Amino acid sequence: MSATGKLQPEPYETARAFCITSAFWMVVATFMGLLGATELIAPDIVRIGWLHFGRIRPVHVNLVLFGFVTPGLLGAVFYFVPRLLRTELYSERLGLVTAGFWNIALVAAVSTLLAGATQGREYAEMIWPVDLLVVMVFILVFINLIMTVARRREPLLYVSVWYACAAIALTGATYVLGNVVWVPDTGSLVGIPDAILLWFYGHNIFGLLLTPLSLGVAYYVIPKACRNPLYSHTLSLVGFWSLFVVYTHIGTHHLLQVPVPTWLKVISIVDSIGMVIPVMVVLINLWYTAQGRLGEIHADVGAKFVFTGTIMYFFASIQGSMMALPQVQRVTHFNNWVVGHAHIGVLAFSGMIALGGLYFVLPRIAGRPLHSRLLADLQYWLVLLGSAGFAVVLTIVGLIQGQAWLNGETVYRVLPSLYPYYVLRASLGAILFSSAVIGFYNVFRTLYGQRGAAA
Amino acid sequence: MYFPYFATYMIVGLGLALLVAGWALHNGQFGDQQRARFLPLAGDPPATDAPALTRRGRLEVYGLALVVAIGLAGTVAVLAFALLSG
Repeated sequence: MSATGKLQPEPYETARAFCITSAFWMVVATFMGLLGATELIAPDIVRIGWLHFGRIRPVHVNLVLFGFVTPGLLGAVFYFVPRLLRTELYSERLGLVTAGFWNIALVAAVSTLLAGATQGREYAEMIWPVDLLVVMVFILVFINLIMTVARRREPLLYVSVWYACAAIALTGATYVLGNVVWVPDTGSLVGIPDAILLWFYGHNIFGLLLTPLSLGVAYYVIPKACRNPLYSHTLSLVGFWSLFVVYTHIGTHHLLQVPVPTWLKVISIVDSIGMVIPVMVVLINLWYTAQGRLGEIHADVGAKFVFTGTIMYFFASIQGSMMALPQVQRVTHFNNWVVGHAHIGVLAFSGMIALGGLYFVLPRIAGRPLHSRLLADLQYWLVLLGSAGFAVVLTIVGLIQGQAWLNGETVYRVLPSLYPYYVLRASLGAILFSSAVIGFYNVFRTLYGQRGAAA
Repeated sequence: MYFPYFATYMIVGLGLALLVAGWALHNGQFGDQQRARFLPLAGDPPATDAPALTRRGRLEVYGLALVVAIGLAGTVAVLAFALLSG
């Protein structure tokens, strides 16, 4: 609020609200992950019904998606969209209201899921009233962004603006469709069509929300941190349009071992391999922009997070394309290998870029330096260690499970061999939880602390 | 019967995408791409020579390169394992 009337929100108040939202919910989300991982090695450790693994797991997943990563990316979006368009955000007040409803939706999601109210569909567990809240906040974000675009003074839309607007518009539609909101009682169709729709949603909530938002942030932060123009804006637009042409069809590659129509499987496999095009277009563009300027990247902790996130994007994407091959999938699917893949995608790629965007814009929206660069660096290494560790450990566990399944081994005989890896997994969860606590403290002190001079 | 949902979504999606692409073309969004490259830098001081990496920075780059190497090796190993294991 302004110092005089306390009536008009200050510039970037929306960005601040989303940054603190992300930092807070990262703590809760990683705690839920740690608790779930602990219950996998000691199932009786918590004898409270609403903290059972079956309830903790969807809370963890939905909080990482909508509590930590998306608000972190939106914090950066609400900073760079007005700047790139040389105007002010359409309405900071609307932005603050949106952030408020966003948090209400998250509280509602956690409460209902812990109470056992669930649609029972992976990644789409939240019940109908919460679904409506989620759709509403996406509509509010979209109105704010599109009205800012309409009132712009810069005629050209930079690729980050394209990505941000498309991500929000497409996710609103994907969410409505994927959660079958026209069937409030169950939030689902029946049988195989529901599985197809669910994986359309499960894959696109990542590919049409987190991926474009993350790429939008990376396309802004890397040229800015390197003080170098983007290698090619034309190439970036090729990547933007090809992502949406290719990505929307690939969810069914999670159902190759399921009786869905063959034509749909073929499309999903072909387009999964086709994803190599938009991915490499983005990475070549960003890495050429940063070429010879790693010193600049290292000097800014936000850019460091973002650049690392682009490397993880490479891994998550080649894994995704590779997994779509039926020959590979019979070993890697329906086991912890996919969980590892999800952690590389959501945590190591999008999560890293969300934290990077957040740390990049924090000093600019707070008007003072980061509370502690050391703590931010520490968080960087803890997140990198945790996410890389997850990738290694969960890949090993997945291969053990996949190979045992192929050999007809019974589950109970395989479980003991997984145990040490599950202990490692919980330890890595503890590292990530610690990193989230450090991050929240640093973000809170930067935004609301008294220390530091005005920038 | 699930085709109507998908068909409707695809037709609406394709229609909207064509509308937006048409607007972008008409609005000159695909022109002046050279200037678009510089948009994030608006208002920034001109670039100077990039600072050299510090010793700690170099160590961090080596650390990151190690993570990349392990990741690539793991990916190749999974691919080989899946394809060769019968």
